[in-house]
Amino acid sequence: MRENRGSWYLLTGLVLGVIIGVLYAWFVHPVQYTNTYPKTLRADFKDQYRALIATAYLSNGALVRARARLDLLGDTDIYAVLAKQAQRTLAEGGSSLEARALGILAVALGQAPPTLPGPTGGPAPSEAASPAQASPGTPVQTGAVPLTQNAATPGGTATQALTTSASTSTAASVTQTAPAGSTPTSRAARTAIPTGTSLPTRTGTPTQGAPFVLDQQELVCNPRQTTPLIQVETFDAARQPVAGVEVVVSWEDGENHFYTGVKPDVSSGYADFDMTPGVTYTLRLAEGGQPIPGLTPTECETAGGDRYWGSWRLVFVQP
Amino acid sequence: MSRWIRFFLAILVGVLAGLLYGWFINPVKYVDTAPDSLKIDYKSDYVLMVAEAFSVEKDPVLAARRLTLLGPKSPADMAREAILFGESHGYPDADVALMRNLAVALEAVSPSAIQGQAP
Repeated sequence: MRENRGSWYLLTGLVLGVIIGVLYAWFVHPVQYTNTYPKTLRADFKDQYRALIATAYLSNGALVRARARLDLLGDTDIYAVLAKQAQRTLAEGGSSLEARALGILAVALGQAPPTLPGPTGGPAPSEAASPAQASPGTPVQTGAVPLTQNAATPGGTATQALTTSASTSTAASVTQTAPAGSTPTSRAARTAIPTGTSLPTRTGTPTQGAPFVLDQQELVCNPRQTTPLIQVETFDAARQPVAGVEVVVSWEDGENHFYTGVKPDVSSGYADFDMTPGVTYTLRLAEGGQPIPGLTPTECETAGGDRYWGSWRLVFVQP
Repeated sequence: MSRWIRFFLAILVGVLAGLLYGWFINPVKYVDTAPDSLKIDYKSDYVLMVAEAFSVEKDPVLAARRLTLLGPKSPADMAREAILFGESHGYPDADVALMRNLAVALEAVSPSAIQGQAP
């Protein structure tokens, strides 16, 4: 009888202790993450991070660096995420510059080969315990330290001399700090590999100083597209779509600016604008060319006599 | 050993088991973190991105607002920390120069100017 009583109170104490311990560990003094990485950021912070990556890309044209930074966010389909964010930014009335930057970066990534050239003449990407342990002369980067790259400025001629592999994996560690213990740290270094391999010359960029001219204007009747649109497509002299061309649509009491390329799923040189029935619009490209006046929603008719709104398709080319 | 001592020993073992479970086996998971918790590497690269954008936009207030995401420190202090990190971790000179330019520009930004619409 005495033996049974002893066992039960011991078990009671153990359960009580577990409860106290878990409560303390979860609520009073939980694990604190102090060295997180971008992948764990909240969605809206990721959006801001992504927009900043794109804006930085616009300033330096370093595609590999932008790609490496985007990899840190852990998106499975970087191209789609960028394109969707560009569209969302425009739809929510956000910064048109950011939307343009996101669109251009999406297009740039879409134009790059799916797998950039691997390292040649150098060691494979490796992890090192610390930068100091890397071999001398090897650019070593911890976490998000930038990659060195010579790349073309967006919008310019885009022959790129990449000096590192975009597929270099990013390795970084999160340090879990148990409050009562020491901070265990382990860090991994990303090694940028110099290569002499160049990407193919990219086309589809505006020729500096050459104005776009209207090549085609047509009413598009598509029963599945019932919202009246102005659809703009821009091409260079080689008939390659051109992204990042600013389009200005004005009407009696308003004006809107947008850019080609923010819907790269349609075309990198495509942009569209929702028209309001009864309003007449004038469209021009900010980079030159003649204004196209008198764009107003026009009705189309199916074979059965049903009427719906058509869209204006305007094609601009650089001579 | 008295029954009370054994009872408190059992509680102690339980507490240790609970801490082990709560801290290591099934810890609180942080999936929606804020930029101020980022590792210094990423914070520094974030500052560099802001510096790269600033080199074109030339808008120190916008740059300062972007940096406020990284925590309560002043944007100029954050830029200085990133410069120190960059210098000690082999950032290219051009990148460090960009951050220096940013830091200089941020010195002139007043806290009241930063308060406003977030980036």
